[in-house]
Amino acid sequence: MLLLPKNVKIIGQGITGSEGSRALPWILSYGTQVVAGVTPGKGGQKLNNIPIFDSIIDATNNINDIEGVVQFVPPQFAKKATIEAIDSGIKFILIGAEKVPTQDAAYIYRYAKDNGASIVGPNSVGIINPKRKLKLGLIGGGKPEKMFIPGDIAVISKSGSVAAEISLLLKNAGLGVSWAIGIGGDRIIGSDFGDFLLEIEKDDSTKASVIFGELGGTYEERVALLIKEKKIKKPVVAYVAGEFTMSLPSDVQFGHAGAIIEGNRGLPQIKREILKEAGVIVADNLDDIPSLIKDILSKK
Amino acid sequence: MILYEFEGKQLLSNAGINVPKSQLITSYDQNISIKPPTILKAQVLAGGRMEMGGIKIVNAASNFQDALKDLFKYTNKSEKTNSVLIEEKIEHTMEYYVSISYDTDIRGLTLTISSDGGTGVESRGSKKYHISSLDQSIPKTDIPDEIIQKILKAFFENDCLLIEINPLVKSGDEWLALDAKVKLDDDAKKRHSEWQFPERSVPGHIPTEREIAAKQIDAGDHRGTAGSVYFDLDGDIGILASGGGISLIAMDALINAGGKPSNYTEYSGNPPREKVIKLTETVLSKPGLHALWIIGTVVANFTDIYETLMGIIDGIKEYEKKVGKKMDIPIVIRRGGPRDTEAFEELKKMNDYDFHLQGPEISIPQSASYIAKLAKKYATTS
Repeated sequence: MLLLPKNVKIIGQGITGSEGSRALPWILSYGTQVVAGVTPGKGGQKLNNIPIFDSIIDATNNINDIEGVVQFVPPQFAKKATIEAIDSGIKFILIGAEKVPTQDAAYIYRYAKDNGASIVGPNSVGIINPKRKLKLGLIGGGKPEKMFIPGDIAVISKSGSVAAEISLLLKNAGLGVSWAIGIGGDRIIGSDFGDFLLEIEKDDSTKASVIFGELGGTYEERVALLIKEKKIKKPVVAYVAGEFTMSLPSDVQFGHAGAIIEGNRGLPQIKREILKEAGVIVADNLDDIPSLIKDILSKK
Repeated sequence: MILYEFEGKQLLSNAGINVPKSQLITSYDQNISIKPPTILKAQVLAGGRMEMGGIKIVNAASNFQDALKDLFKYTNKSEKTNSVLIEEKIEHTMEYYVSISYDTDIRGLTLTISSDGGTGVESRGSKKYHISSLDQSIPKTDIPDEIIQKILKAFFENDCLLIEINPLVKSGDEWLALDAKVKLDDDAKKRHSEWQFPERSVPGHIPTEREIAAKQIDAGDHRGTAGSVYFDLDGDIGILASGGGISLIAMDALINAGGKPSNYTEYSGNPPREKVIKLTETVLSKPGLHALWIIGTVVANFTDIYETLMGIIDGIKEYEKKVGKKMDIPIVIRRGGPRDTEAFEELKKMNDYDFHLQGPEISIPQSASYIAKLAKKYATTS
């Protein structure tokens, strides 16, 4: 389960740290139900009136119906923390940490898959759904209404700030978002564009999606494949950045860990062509996204 | 980080994989202890050494000097040779191409084996095997299990992103790695205190002074990033972009609008003011600037806009002190997020700069067109 229901109960793992304690009041004031925090050694304390437990299992033994974890744990501990959550029966974990070692991310992906759990991230800025008052992670900071207003477009982005920027473009054009999602720009991520778009197919609140991709990896290519297999039928608008890097040396990481060209894979131009061929509407200019979405909606 | 061949072979050797006897030399007048026949290999990161004359066979000791002189002069796509690896020549019967790396298609590891190694192997037929990230069990291949096991062990224990051995050969009863391309995962640096490799540029590229200076900014300070990626370009618009994704959009948009960036760089993750100051000075030190573009999202999720923008202003002032001249080029700032109102109020007071402040009403492509025009105007009127 990637698209969480309204009023879902959430644990904040590592919530007493600097990023977690900064984000918690923002998440609570948005209306999201963070019902417990977990930090080893800090059990018994309270933060913003939320009880803190030493372990996930302590939290789930004391509070019923917890369904997800939002994680604010340093990168080197993300693997251990995620395994703890999965072993405690949690089926949804959003990992915010940047710079999680690739070996750990691959382990987390496989471990979650084998245990029927969903992972978002690593390096996810978060997920927001304005209608459901759901906000997990740092997304939107303390003023999410500045860019995320209720609507029926899903924004799925490798970059957190681009998720915000595209949602703002939509807002300025009179459109809003059903979901805005930071999937993370790492090499190995728990849920990619395809994983979310497959869920969006079943989500009545979403009419069309916008994806932001960049050079490197094959997550954009997978979207094209899923569309060709008719597993994704709702319209998708895509923007793929990084064309200018073609004039620079390869084997360079441009910002995100996954934004790197190795051999002939991951070229932005090829990604655009493959997406177009599959029927995705590819925006050449970021500003065109709202009008392309409006065109799609008017044809339906 | 990509390792030089000799560093990669050391890593393999530490994991129990045989490599030829060798000696690394850094100048051609060093004593050579390896007896011919030998193979001499220029240590550069860029591939294609064989075709471009970076590898030489020396069969008689009297030929060492000439071969070494050639190799120390060898450059590959402008990357110079600083050391040469001298190895005993290995006669062998079988050779294979073997590589392990992460594959985004399966979000796990792929082991690739091709039954003949050598150059051009990427385009020939090869077998691919998936390796489980959980139990790391090995598939049945044409190569003995024990060898594959050792390569996998080297891969996991050293947090590699890539191990490529081309060729892996059988000589008598022994298996040896005759070449090694190894890439380490920088994100795992914290758990590898043994990684004491000197800084290096990307394959086939000599870093400029500014590129070296920019890289230094992040060294030893893990709070946010600033300057880890910096490239000098040919244009006249200085770039201070924030955020991985936004910086790519901004560069593509600027080039589409006919603007010419003088550099690419990116800062993100709420870096402290000192880092932003240094990065600003580095960007401004490029001669021939006609404009400065401070570009990022106007709805930052968590970066402190006041701190980073004031850091840029401090950087501008530091640079002015160094060169003894006031900055008179147009400075376009499109930025917003936490504490942006405070930052913009402060900027509005500084009326001795040609600031152009932009917020949510101007998109990234619009801002790109705007600064492209300003730079052209400045170039023609100054």
